[in-house]
Amino acid sequence: MDLLLDAVVIGVLLGCFYAAVSIGLSVSFGLLDVPHVAHPAFLVLAAYLVFFINEHYGIDPLVAGLIITPLFFVFGLAAYRLYYETFERRGSDAGVRGIAFFFGVAFIIEVLIILQFGVDQRSVTAAYIGKSWRIGDMRIPYRMLVAFGVAMALTLLLTLYLSKTYMGRAIRAVAQDQEALRLMGANPIRVKQWAFGIATAVLGLAGALLIIVAPIDPTLDRAYIGRTFCVVVMAGLGSMSGTLVAAVILGVAESIVLTMFGASWAPAIAFAMLLGVLAVRPQGLFGRRS
Amino acid sequence: MALSLAISGLDAGYGAVKALRGVSLHVEAGETVALLGTNGNGKSTLMKCVAGLVRPQRGSMSLTIDGVAHDLTKLSTEAIVDLGVAMVPEGRRLFPKLTVLENLMLGAFRAAARREIERNLAVAFETFPVLKERKSQLAGTMSGGQQQMLAIARALMSSPRLLLVDEPSVGLSPLLVSQTITKIGELNQNLGLTVLMAEQNFNQAVRIASRGYIIVHGEIVVAANSVDELKGNDIVKRLYLGGIV
Ligand SMILES: Nc1ncnc2c1ncn2[C@@H]1O[C@H](COP(=O)(O)OP(=O)(O)OP(=O)(O)O)[C@@H](O)[C@H]1O
Ligand SMILES: [Mg+2]
Repeated sequence: MDLLLDAVVIGVLLGCFYAAVSIGLSVSFGLLDVPHVAHPAFLVLAAYLVFFINEHYGIDPLVAGLIITPLFFVFGLAAYRLYYETFERRGSDAGVRGIAFFFGVAFIIEVLIILQFGVDQRSVTAAYIGKSWRIGDMRIPYRMLVAFGVAMALTLLLTLYLSKTYMGRAIRAVAQDQEALRLMGANPIRVKQWAFGIATAVLGLAGALLIIVAPIDPTLDRAYIGRTFCVVVMAGLGSMSGTLVAAVILGVAESIVLTMFGASWAPAIAFAMLLGVLAVRPQGLFGRRS
Repeated sequence: MALSLAISGLDAGYGAVKALRGVSLHVEAGETVALLGTNGNGKSTLMKCVAGLVRPQRGSMSLTIDGVAHDLTKLSTEAIVDLGVAMVPEGRRLFPKLTVLENLMLGAFRAAARREIERNLAVAFETFPVLKERKSQLAGTMSGGQQQMLAIARALMSSPRLLLVDEPSVGLSPLLVSQTITKIGELNQNLGLTVLMAEQNFNQAVRIASRGYIIVHGEIVVAANSVDELKGNDIVKRLYLGGIV
């Protein structure tokens, strides 16, 4: 029983971490319909940059994540522009070719990381890494609490941005009706580019969490393709609060399976849940039928 | 405020499809002008040209505001909205998963419109009280008539002076068609909006229009200077009043 309670508590925190690494995809894939399979590769790239800054300048990984945030915003703007010019503007079969494009980008990023940092695992140092908080018999690692706090902040900020600002509302509208959005005097391509910039900028902090939570290696992105897409699809495309809830469900499920059946099963959970959601409730838990 | 729209010799199309051929038309300040035509004759294409959504292949389109002429063929939709042109598109084209209020606020996307949002929101709610009651409802869950009102109100949010309305009657019951047309007439009367309205419903359109054009296969075949002249026209009698339609 204690074991199960432990697993649930850790699972909730793990889930919040998953929310933080998925929420950018909730914007790029969920709201913009961009088949962004390079999202996890961008995430790992961010984690390596955080590693680099932490190692060379001794800067706290979260601060390092904030430092690279504007950089990633610009990177996102450029990546969308390239995707748009080469694929999206040509129309109909952009879907499949778009996936190929982003797989290519992910592959290039992986290779560049290996060339620059090698294949060894990397980790960062910070006061809150390696220590735990004890409540009764339970030990909660501080690094998971950090992930929890950052995930909450990101979800809240993105939700507010998307509902309270003109640009945020345009971002939610752009996938619903581009031509109507043009009639409002907004340029849909620029709206999408901006949104993709934000979806990428969020990866600054998410990448910091990735390396705070556990050591990283260049192929770690593969483990996160299933998880991030599972979370975004389960959430119902484009729902920020849904992303948090779906991520917590995945985190708890993984944590329980890990406790009961061992670590080798955990990575399969995301794919199993993704298939389950697609079969039973394709509009996601919080998606609305259109 | 003097505003007029002058279109002359306009050709437009989609790839091999020619949708407009040598269209000439003008709208003067304060008028309500009807663009009449049955399915597929080019009404929407003409409206989209004015709004900058479709680029004409030939001809001229100019909007004169206080004596200054603006060449619409060279401007983006953003710039055209800034000049004070708003369109209520055919089929409403709301953002169904956003609330009524969010739809309205998107109508005020341009920087100039954001500064006027309080006033325009008040006008929209005063004109269509039901929208105020339902401001938190998702647009896609409203009835057809309410959606048409929202589409019109959303267009008002950019402080337009020229309102393009494309087939407001589509998909509405006769009673709602009549109410919607009356509302558009009131916008012209009360807010001083200049209106260009595409319609298939002849009898409803001429209730509020002061004059009109008939478009057939992308060409203007009748340009009438009054509603009486329209009603007396042989082509109109054949198309709309003679029982074929
Ligand atoms: N996106 C498009 N691509 C290709 N052809 C088009 C497109 N839109 C319209 N057309 C064609 O252009 C012509 C004029 O269409 P348009 O929509 O302007 O007519 P309309 O008078 O608005 O008709 P309706 O009353 O059905 O709305 C038609 O032959 C139509 O098939
Ligand atoms: Mg039409």
